[in-house]
Amino acid sequence: LAADVSVDAVMADVQGRVRERLRLHLVRHGAAAFEDPELFAEVERLLRASVDEGDSHALILPELLGDPASWRLETAMRYGSHRPQASATFVLFVKRRLLMPLFRWLFEYSRDNFERQRRVNQVLFACVQELALENARLRHDIQQRQP
Amino acid sequence: VKLGCVVQRYGAGVAGGSERHCREVALRLAASHDVTVLTTCAADYVTWDNELPAGESVDGPVRVRRFPVSRSRRLKRFAELSDEVFDGRAPEDQQEEWFRENGPDCPALLDYLRAEGSRFDLVLFWTFRYAPSFFGVPIVRDRAILLPTAEEDRAVDLGILEPFFQLPAGYLFLTPEEETLVSTRAGRPLRPSAVIGMGLDAAPLAAPAPPPAAPPGPYLLYLGRVDRNKGCETLLEYFLDYASAHEGLSLVLAGPAKMQIPAHPRVRALGHVQDAERDALLQSALALVVPSPFESLSIVLLEAWNRAVPAIVNAHCAVLKGQVRRANGGLHYRSSAEFAEAVEALRRAEGDRRALGAQGLAYVEREYRWPTVMSRVESLLSEVLAARRA
Repeated sequence: LAADVSVDAVMADVQGRVRERLRLHLVRHGAAAFEDPELFAEVERLLRASVDEGDSHALILPELLGDPASWRLETAMRYGSHRPQASATFVLFVKRRLLMPLFRWLFEYSRDNFERQRRVNQVLFACVQELALENARLRHDIQQRQP
Repeated sequence: VKLGCVVQRYGAGVAGGSERHCREVALRLAASHDVTVLTTCAADYVTWDNELPAGESVDGPVRVRRFPVSRSRRLKRFAELSDEVFDGRAPEDQQEEWFRENGPDCPALLDYLRAEGSRFDLVLFWTFRYAPSFFGVPIVRDRAILLPTAEEDRAVDLGILEPFFQLPAGYLFLTPEEETLVSTRAGRPLRPSAVIGMGLDAAPLAAPAPPPAAPPGPYLLYLGRVDRNKGCETLLEYFLDYASAHEGLSLVLAGPAKMQIPAHPRVRALGHVQDAERDALLQSALALVVPSPFESLSIVLLEAWNRAVPAIVNAHCAVLKGQVRRANGGLHYRSSAEFAEAVEALRRAEGDRRALGAQGLAYVEREYRWPTVMSRVESLLSEVLAARRA
């Protein structure tokens, strides 16, 4: 029996092999900058950290974008009508009780894709935040080193 | 000490992680306390239909009071409401409505808590997402202990939960990741609290014979409902990628299928299996695979380790990854490529595979035997009682 196998050590090997295959694949397809394995590892580490943080609520960009109604994906179906009260009630009934059951499959297909897009947006927010942080830290370091 | 245990369903025949957790803990607490389970007449977690008789009964040393559910779950209304609420813009009253529609709607149980709740020294609530806990905790908040059994799904993001999570007098969590998740949502560390997990008895030492349903060669085993929400669609996709490039390994799915399973000579779907066959399948597996993106503990992972079987888990689930790293009991994957490499790592190094399984078993011995779990529960109960009496 192998003694004291470390999950982190085995996973480092596993992820190292996967990372190297990915790097070679990207280089073959034109990402020449990744011919430097160390550079690729740095980029991959930074983006991976962003993806890991992508689901967190600690993101600055949503706050800066302002009114969520102007940018946030709306995945729920909200029923409305511009008509007067009586006909609006009828129209809403038709939409909710007759049309929606017929087209629910289409709604769910779209909603699932919107949900994916929302996650991608969140991850991109996190990536931008991570890059901005890195940039700010580097700027700070450079300023400290200047005479 | 007079203890109440509130849970959405209860009974030996009731399947469900939190229900099982509640029953196992209640039965053990009853050895030294006066324990009453307050629950509903529902047996089905989808409909909440009243199937069990209302009133008082006993389950060994535990007194059980069942209250009727006022209505079955309106599935269509619940689905529509979920769409609206998880959109992220729902006002508080709509979020509260979501908990009511999620059910089980059991006003008699809440009335009982209002009338008799003060007669309990402490009331333990299982699972924040169901109505008995969400509406029950505020009634007896000064003596409420919450076991949130929270996962990283959309429900835990609801804004209305921030004040709710502040209410209980104490907390019992299943994993450190769950504690972090709930504390983050609450906006502060939640104290007093304890991470208890779930207890397991030692598995029989003798290895059962390989089950007749198992494929001839090595296999990965998935145990549980075969469902898209459990990550099975992605698992099948990753496994078929793996199978197209590697020979000899099969995937066995043991559990009721709630999705289409692709026909493939190396994917064997067994449907529901009896406990003995389940144990035998587990014992002979190369590894257990747990693809779920949402878990608050994963009892099946502990059961695999209890038999010294290593696991391969979805790294996107913080709980699963955390458990595997703490136990040193398996590998994790984030992509198809990592899944294939992790499987190959276990296939290539039999010594490492066995060591990971043995380390998993040692982790269970260290953390998840009932005396250890119950001593943590008892310590937390004593701490909350002392704080109440101070």
